Amino acid sequence: MEVYDCYQKTDLASATLIWDSKNNQKITSLAGKNVIKGGVASWDFYWQLFGRNSIDNKGLLIRQYVHYDKGMDNAYWDGRRMVYGDGDGTVFTSFTSDIDIIGHELTHGVMENEANLDYENQAGALNESFSDIFGIMIKQRFNNQDVKKSNWLIGEKVLIGPKYALRSLKAPGTAYVNHPELGTDPQPATMDKYQNLPDNDAGDWGGVHINSGIPNFAFYVAAFNMGGYSWEKAGRIWYAVLTDKKLAQNANFADVKNNSIVNAEKLFGLNSQEVKAVKQGWNEAKV
Amino acid sequence: MKIILIRTGGFIPVKKVAETETNITDQELGNLLEIIRRDPATPRIRDGHYYTLTAGNSSSGVDLEKVPTEYKDLFSKLKNNLKIVKET
Repeated sequence: MEVYDCYQKTDLASATLIWDSKNNQKITSLAGKNVIKGGVASWDFYWQLFGRNSIDNKGLLIRQYVHYDKGMDNAYWDGRRMVYGDGDGTVFTSFTSDIDIIGHELTHGVMENEANLDYENQAGALNESFSDIFGIMIKQRFNNQDVKKSNWLIGEKVLIGPKYALRSLKAPGTAYVNHPELGTDPQPATMDKYQNLPDNDAGDWGGVHINSGIPNFAFYVAAFNMGGYSWEKAGRIWYAVLTDKKLAQNANFADVKNNSIVNAEKLFGLNSQEVKAVKQGWNEAKV
Repeated sequence: MKIILIRTGGFIPVKKVAETETNITDQELGNLLEIIRRDPATPRIRDGHYYTLTAGNSSSGVDLEKVPTEYKDLFSKLKNNLKIVKET
């Protein structure tokens, strides 16, 4: 793994290498320390649970860039690396502050090397949902939290204020309510509230970060009903879906519902409690 | 001429807007947009955010990395002044 400091500039090519896993340099940047911690937790998650060797399963060197741009309130995966801004300091703090966001971004890389779901409409919302689901599991595992102990919130430190987070898998649409700057979390939890948005940048490519609330909620219900640690049963099923060659790039929610049931049956048996929990999850999400 | 910079997208899709009055002429604006227009074929960045420039009757997706030196201060100020538009 390598960590680069952009020193609040936007030219990634001129960013400075401040840490790499071979030399394990001492660093002062808190954002740098955060992404090392989150990157290691994410790498360990995929390796120790699924035997996955990095993002591409071929040992790809993980590169993370911190302090990108001045006050950038975002984090993203650009197809080759993870990039994090410091936040504006008023509404958002550093996007490295939550381990689930680091896990989310790294999972976009895993997704790109596996199902590679299209980044638009339902497939795009599933793409986002897989990142949220693996992001929350990485955080839960790092904090040794079971399904009951976890609050299922993504980005609870990044969005400033004790009542706020960026997303909730347990209750989509409630991560922030009446926020003075952002208003209220627009995520639906169920298919009857699906939002048809334009497939352009202003429409969030058909609401990929909005409608992801629906498969997120399905996963939460399934994992909660299975009990214990989310990654031990539900996580295995969702990883099997993510890496299933039968999953089409333009898969919709119903496709992933069916695929997750088939994979649950393969892993745990036709009439197992786990299969019932998966079905309950998708039914609760009205998919 | 008033120009408006709009930022959309991101980890949570937030719309931010900034505007300013400039001395840019229609011809200069046309030339500038030719240089900084975002290629629509560019792959979609996961959780990426995007900028759109609106001036007069023109509106175009733009790549701020392509902004020529003489306009860097203008766009830097616009970026610094971006304010969230509350959607709900």
